[in-house]
Amino acid sequence: MPDLLLEVKNLSMHYDTLDGNVDAVKDISFSVKSGESFGLVGESGCGKTSVAMTLLQLQPDNSVITEGSIKLDGKELIGLSENDLRKVRWDSISIVFQGAMNAWNPVIKIGEQIREAMREHYPENSKQENIEKIDELFKMVGLDGSISERFPHELSGGMKQRAVIALALSCDPKIIIADEPTTALDVVIQDQILNEIKKVQDLLGLSLIYISHDIAVIAEMTDKIAVMYAGSIVEMGPTKDIFENPVHSYTRALLDSTPSIRGEKRKLKSLDGEPPSLINKIDGCSFAPRCPDRETKCNPTEHMRLVEIAPDHFVDICSQGKQ
Amino acid sequence: MLVYTIKRFFEMVIVFFLFLVISYLLFNAIPGNAFSSLLLNPLLPPEAYQKTIEAFGLDKPLFERVQLYIINFFKGDFGYSYTYYPRTPIDLIAERLPRTLMLFSIVNVVAFYTGFLVGKILAWRRGSKSETWITIGSVFSYTVFYPWFALMMLWFFGYKMDWFPLGKFLVPEKWYDSPYASDEIFYTLILFTTISSFLLFLVFIFTRNIESLQKRRNARLFGLIILASLATMYWTNGEAALKRFYAADIAYHMILPTFTVTLVAFAGTALLTRTTMMEVLKDDYILTARAKGLSQKRIRDRHAARTALLPVVTSFIFTIITIIDGSVLTESIFSWPGMGQLILEAVVQEDIPLAMATFSFIGILALIAHFIADISYAFLDPRIRIKAEN
Repeated sequence: MPDLLLEVKNLSMHYDTLDGNVDAVKDISFSVKSGESFGLVGESGCGKTSVAMTLLQLQPDNSVITEGSIKLDGKELIGLSENDLRKVRWDSISIVFQGAMNAWNPVIKIGEQIREAMREHYPENSKQENIEKIDELFKMVGLDGSISERFPHELSGGMKQRAVIALALSCDPKIIIADEPTTALDVVIQDQILNEIKKVQDLLGLSLIYISHDIAVIAEMTDKIAVMYAGSIVEMGPTKDIFENPVHSYTRALLDSTPSIRGEKRKLKSLDGEPPSLINKIDGCSFAPRCPDRETKCNPTEHMRLVEIAPDHFVDICSQGKQ
Repeated sequence: MLVYTIKRFFEMVIVFFLFLVISYLLFNAIPGNAFSSLLLNPLLPPEAYQKTIEAFGLDKPLFERVQLYIINFFKGDFGYSYTYYPRTPIDLIAERLPRTLMLFSIVNVVAFYTGFLVGKILAWRRGSKSETWITIGSVFSYTVFYPWFALMMLWFFGYKMDWFPLGKFLVPEKWYDSPYASDEIFYTLILFTTISSFLLFLVFIFTRNIESLQKRRNARLFGLIILASLATMYWTNGEAALKRFYAADIAYHMILPTFTVTLVAFAGTALLTRTTMMEVLKDDYILTARAKGLSQKRIRDRHAARTALLPVVTSFIFTIITIIDGSVLTESIFSWPGMGQLILEAVVQEDIPLAMATFSFIGILALIAHFIADISYAFLDPRIRIKAEN
């Protein structure tokens, strides 16, 4: 299939710590078509960022990928040498990090930090060409070209985040990972940035992986989402399907905890308990201890695995009850 | 930036003024001096005693003397040395200071450069075996009792292996029929070193903007080769060819003290670079740099080391000052006739005008070092540069 840009299959990764192995990513599979936006949602610590880092092969030194494959444009990323990875990074896949405040080196000018990536991937470009391209990118994200000559501390948070998006676009990647790009910003700026990302994505026909804990933002941004809990995907499908017909109890709980502006007034529900520590091996459904439906509909002893219940709509098997 | 510089300069002048007053009062508080022990000679007639005291202004009250000293100081009059009379302190310092400056500028440049280089590689290779051993070695040379270490170096390389001379500035036997004074040769050496390091610096500055790393390295190598051949040409032609023999003798005497002080001084820079760089490596922008697909070397040098440079520069400039007072120890151990020995002599013999003059020089050097630290900090860190401008 040529239009399948990114294909992740059975990816498992754990961190090797002094207290034992932390299973951050457990048997995750998903795929992103070109031009599609894919959302990854889940609460803090569920392994979203670990997935993002693994896609770029930038995971910390103590992480171990036990199995799985990441194919970008048909090319396997796991096991590539550092030099080959360098060519893939930014050129094919780039990332907008969580904290834009700290994504810039404080002592180097913004323009130089973008040019440096372009020099690495397009060594044949002249300095003038690079500068023109940066001006163009800045215009696209609503920044003035003179920002190139500024240092990071001279910009506001929103400007820095826009510049980070320009940076992510600088080497014409096929896919961009946006890892909570708006968490540090206020709501107004957040909205502007989201629009910017969307606009740019449509304009350039990029694929986008949008990672957030905010299901409302995800709904606005993506065509397809995956809900993560404790390192596994518990439900995945077209965004519309998931919002209209959530099947897994965790997805429903997540939706119930978000206020809606237009719908009728209702009390927000919250879940009791905390997500499990990933350091302990969990048998069966990892959500079972907090699951409101564990007594009635679910079969929490079933080992987690996704089943397709509607076209393209996958859900964890334990929510399907005893068969 | 200019306003900031001028403001800092005026602050410096005020601090220096206070420094002068306080050190004058402190020296005055010491009972007796070289002069009074001379005057206590019972054979001295009382009129002569009175006349001498008046001639030196020692009969005036303390406040007036301080005033007089400071006015004369800024006029460039430092009085006469008691022990070297009729030579003036400025005369003595002019003779000794170049020797100290030469020795310690070389030490500082080499120590800073190697320290920074070693430090950043240590941080980058965190956890490897070589990192552990070099760090242990650096901690040793950083904490070792310096006089003992210097004596050990002298004993091992000078006496046991007999590779280097046991201190002093030159071998007198070689200079009996020398047509040149040792200072003349030494000034030639200083001039040569200054000009060649300046040219080297220029080579590095001019090649900075070459975009391709490969081309930049080649350009630098080429520049170095040209400089080296120029230097060879200089020492083999004309008058310098005659001076070569004597210059080599002085340079030979400099090797061991330079090496010893460098070993001690470099460790501090290396350890500090290692620590700050390890902090920097945890920062988010290092991750960004890696995600951008930059090479390891570029991430290390351009992103991590460049940011880690700031605290290292500050601490380094403060060590320059301690190294200048440290010259007292170094120069005594290696019998290097520089400022350090002059200070020691002046203090031990209570030659107050000389001691005051040497201390003021250290004070001036310390202030200049702080001044340079401030300016270079603003130059290295854009965040401070902006604040200074507003």
